[in-house]
Amino acid sequence: MPDLRDHEGAIATALGRLGKHAAFADVLAERAVGAGLRLDTKSTTPSVEARLGGAIFRLWDGVRWVEAATSSLDEPGLSSAVAALEKAAAKSTGHAPAPGVSSTTQKESVTKTNHPMRDVPFEEILSLAKAARGWATSVPGVADAQVGIGWEDNERLYLNTAGARCFQRLSRVRAGVSALAVENGRAEFDFDSRGGVGGREILGFVTEECATTVARGAKEMLAAAEAPVGEMAVVLDGSVTGLFAHESFGHGTEADQFVRDRSYLKPILGEKVAPEFLTIADDGSFPGGWGTIYFDDEGHPGRKTVLVDHGKFVAALHDRETAAAFHTTATGNTRRADFLSRAFVRMTNTYVEPGDWSLEELVKEAKNGVLLERGTSGIEDPLGGQMQLKVKRGHRIENGEVTGLVSSMALSGKVLDFMRATRGVGKSHGLTIEPGYCGKGSTDLLPVGTGGVPLLSTAVVGPA
Amino acid sequence: MSPSSRTADTAFRVADRIKSPEPWEVYAESSRRFEIHLGGRSVEMIRGPIALEGYGIRVLRPHNGSTGSGFQASTDLTDAGIRAALEDAETVARFSEFPAKKVELPGRAPSPGDRAEILDRRLWDDPLKAVEAHIAALLSGFEGRKEIVPSFGSVRATLSETTIANSSGLRTSYAHTLVDLEVAVKAFGGPEGAPPGEYWVNSSSRRFDTERLPTEVEAWCTYAKDVRRAVPPPSGDLPVLLPAGVLAGILPAVVGYRFTGAARLRKIAPNVGDAAAAESVTLQDDGLRAWAPSSSPVDAEGAVRGGRPLIAAGKVSGLLYDASHAAAFDVASTASATRGSDPNGFFDWRRFLHSPRVTSSTIAIAAGDGGSDAELIEAAGDGVWVQQLGWAVPDAISGAFGGEIRIGYRVRNGKLAEPVRGGTVGGVVLAPPGRPSLLQNVAEIGSTVTLAESVASPTLLVRPLVVAGAAGASAPTSKPKGAGRGSSGTSGTARRGRSRSTSR
Repeated sequence: MPDLRDHEGAIATALGRLGKHAAFADVLAERAVGAGLRLDTKSTTPSVEARLGGAIFRLWDGVRWVEAATSSLDEPGLSSAVAALEKAAAKSTGHAPAPGVSSTTQKESVTKTNHPMRDVPFEEILSLAKAARGWATSVPGVADAQVGIGWEDNERLYLNTAGARCFQRLSRVRAGVSALAVENGRAEFDFDSRGGVGGREILGFVTEECATTVARGAKEMLAAAEAPVGEMAVVLDGSVTGLFAHESFGHGTEADQFVRDRSYLKPILGEKVAPEFLTIADDGSFPGGWGTIYFDDEGHPGRKTVLVDHGKFVAALHDRETAAAFHTTATGNTRRADFLSRAFVRMTNTYVEPGDWSLEELVKEAKNGVLLERGTSGIEDPLGGQMQLKVKRGHRIENGEVTGLVSSMALSGKVLDFMRATRGVGKSHGLTIEPGYCGKGSTDLLPVGTGGVPLLSTAVVGPA
Repeated sequence: MSPSSRTADTAFRVADRIKSPEPWEVYAESSRRFEIHLGGRSVEMIRGPIALEGYGIRVLRPHNGSTGSGFQASTDLTDAGIRAALEDAETVARFSEFPAKKVELPGRAPSPGDRAEILDRRLWDDPLKAVEAHIAALLSGFEGRKEIVPSFGSVRATLSETTIANSSGLRTSYAHTLVDLEVAVKAFGGPEGAPPGEYWVNSSSRRFDTERLPTEVEAWCTYAKDVRRAVPPPSGDLPVLLPAGVLAGILPAVVGYRFTGAARLRKIAPNVGDAAAAESVTLQDDGLRAWAPSSSPVDAEGAVRGGRPLIAAGKVSGLLYDASHAAAFDVASTASATRGSDPNGFFDWRRFLHSPRVTSSTIAIAAGDGGSDAELIEAAGDGVWVQQLGWAVPDAISGAFGGEIRIGYRVRNGKLAEPVRGGTVGGVVLAPPGRPSLLQNVAEIGSTVTLAESVASPTLLVRPLVVAGAAGASAPTSKPKGAGRGSSGTSGTARRGRSRSTSR
C-alpha cells in the first residue's frame, strides 16, 4: 500500500530550500485513509475518508513563525508553499534564534494490531452494526437505534532542518450506540461509545449487552425527573471526571496560555491546589488511548506528564517555545488538527488517577446531592478559572443513597473551589480512556482522550 | 461570477471527466487562507497562503426502491485521481440506503447573480493587506487604555471560489469570503485582590467591518472589566433576556435540525400548523442574509436560495429540505443543503470534504414591538440579561440547552444592575404543543434585528427560564417537568458523538 513516505523525497527537497533561508524550518506532511458507517432504521450511511493529503511548512524568520501550506504533495505544489515562505524570509530583518530546542528524533512508529481495520471487509462492519441495531430495538419500548462505527489510519511525516525525521501511522477506531425510547408521547435516548488507537478488537465494545444496556437506559430516561437546581454535593462518574480533568488542569496548563499571561494557574505552579489524594496527568503514550500520539507535531515523543501530583500543581504542558520561556523541556504536546492548521500546545489523554473510595462510599459521604453520569461536553475559562461540564443524565442522592433518575444537567463552578472541595476519589480496576474531540477556541478540533474514576466534590448544578 | 481575473473551474474540470449516465454531482472549492495571530499586542505568527483546492463527488444510485448515495472527496485532480474518487463513491453507494426512489438534482437555473452579499472585495483584492489593516485597527482600539489588553487573538480570512456541476446540466459558481475573529480582552490591575477578568470574542462574518471596531472594542472592554466584579446570579425561574449573540449559540442546533426533512423522516419534526412558539414569533430561514457566514446564492447542491418561512405567528409554517429529503417526501427542495456546518458552531471552511446535509442557514426572527433593549429590560422587571454563555451545547433531539453565564447582568426594577457570572441558564428550545419552551415562553421581542453568526434576531425576553446560581436553594425539588423548562420533546435516533470540549 502506498504511504506518505512515497512523497518524502520531494518534501525533503522543499524543506532543504527553506534551510538556506532560515536558521530553522520544519514540515509536517499528512495523509489519511479510513471509512465509517452510520446506521439506523431509516437509512444506512457509509463513508470513506477523503483522499486528502498535504504539507505545512514552518519557518522561523528571526522574529516570528511564518507558515504556508499546500494540499498538493507533488513538486509544484510544495514549491509554491516554499516560495511564499522564501519571500517572507527575505523581508525579515530579525536575527533571533528559533526559540527552544529542535527535535532531532529519528524514528518510525505504526499502530500494532493483529486486526487492522483496513483489512476488515465493509460487509463485516455493516453486519455488526445491523446486529447492534437489532439488539437495541429488541428491548420493549425502544423505537429506534443508531450505530456508528469508524476508523482512520492517519499518517504524519515530520522533518526539520535540525535532522529530525518522524513517521507515524496512528490507527484510530471508534464505535457508538444510541437508542430511542418512546412512551405516551414522551421520547428519550441514551448512548455509549468507545474509541482508541488499535484495530478490530476495539469493536468488541459493540455487544448485545452494550446495546441492550443502552436501550434500557433510554427507556429509563422516560422516567427521568427535572435536574435539581443550585449548589450541592456532586459525585461524578468516570466519564464526567475525565471531562473535569480535561477542563480543570488541562486547558489551564497548556503553557501557551502561560506565555500570554492568560492562565489563572500560572502564579500557583508548585502550590497545593487539592487534597493529597488527587492526581491528574496527561499521557500521550497511554496504550491504546484515543488521544495517544507516537510523536507530536514538533517531533517530540508522546509521553506522560503529571500535572497535579497528590494535590500539588507540579507541571504544565509545553511546546518548544513555551518550554524555552519557562526553562524546561517540551512535553510532546504540540499538535496540529491537520496539515492546514496551526500547531498549539494541546492535551492528549487527560485523566484523574484512581483513589481508594468505592462509589457507594462516595455516595454515602455526599449524603444529599446528585450523581452526574455520561459526560457530553465541557468548556473552561483559562484566565478566570471557571468550568462548565454537561452530562446526559444522572441520579439524585438522598440520605446517602442513589435514588431517582434525572435528565441532562450542567455543572458550573470555579476549578480551584471544586478541587479544594474534593472529598474523595474512587478506585478502579482499570482506567478507561474515553474518546472525545477538543477545540482551541472554536476551531482546531482534534481527538483527545479523557478518563477517570468517580469523584466527590461540590458545585452549582442546573438543567441543560 | 468570479470577481477577478482568476477563475476557478475545479468542478467543471472534474465533471468533464465523469462519463456516467447515472446521477452525479461535483462540488468543488479553490480556497486561499491568510491568518495573523496575536500574542498580546504583538504579531505572534503569520500564516498563508494556506492553499486548498479539492472536490467532492456524489453519486446517487437507485436500488431496491431506495437510493444509494456515495460520496468521496479528493484533492487529486489528475485523471487517475478523479477515477479513484469516483470508484470510492460508487462503492459507498452500493452499501448506502436512503428511503427515496429517485433523487432529482437541481438542473440549469438562471444565474443567481450577486443576490447574496458574501464577498468582501477589498479583502479579495489584497488579502494579506486587508488582514493586516484589520489587525492594526483592532490594536489601535486598545491604545491608551489603562489595564486592558488583548491577551491573544487571531484574524483568519478565507477566500474561496465554489463551483458546482451535476448530471442535470447545472454549472454554477460563486466567490465568497469568510472572516473569523477571535480576541481575548483582559482587564487587570486596580484594587489589590481583584482577579483579572476576560471577555472572549469569537465571531464570523463575510467581511471586515472595520468601522464598527472602535464601538465593539469599547463594549468588549466594559464586559472584561465587569467580569471582575461580577457575582453569581440568583436561582429560580426568572425572566431572562437573550440578545442575538447568545441566541446564536442556542437556536441553530435545534431549529436547524428539528425543522428539516431529516427530522421528519425520524418523526421528530413539528407538524405544520402546530403551535411551536409564542404568537409574536415569526421565524424564517434566510439563505441570502447579507454578510451572514451561512449565506450563499445557491445551496450546497446548486439550488437557488431564498427565504423559507418556518414559524409564522407562533405556528409551524414549513420545513427545510435538500434534494434527498425532498424526494423522500415528494416535495420540492427548499435549497437547504449545506456542507461542513456543525450545529454547535464549528464551521469547517473545507466544505468540499463533506457530503450535503439538510440544515438551516441563517435563522431570522422578525422584529417585534418590544422596542429597544432598555425597554425590554424595563419589561423584564426583575431578571437576568445574559451577555455571553459559556457553551449552550443544545441537544438537537431533545431540544435541551444550558450553559454557564460567562457575563450577564442582574435586572432589578427594570434596570440593568450588577454584573453576574457563573451558575447556569437552561431549558428546552422547542417542546411539543402545550408545553413550555424557550420559543413558547418568548414574552417580548425587541424592535432591532442584529446579525450574529447564523442568527439574525432582536433581543428576546423569555419569561421564564431556569437560572441556577450559587446563592440558590440546593435541595432537589420535585418540580413537574416543563415548569420553566419543558420536558424533552419527542426524540430521535441520532446522537452526536461523545464528549466534546473547548477552551476559550
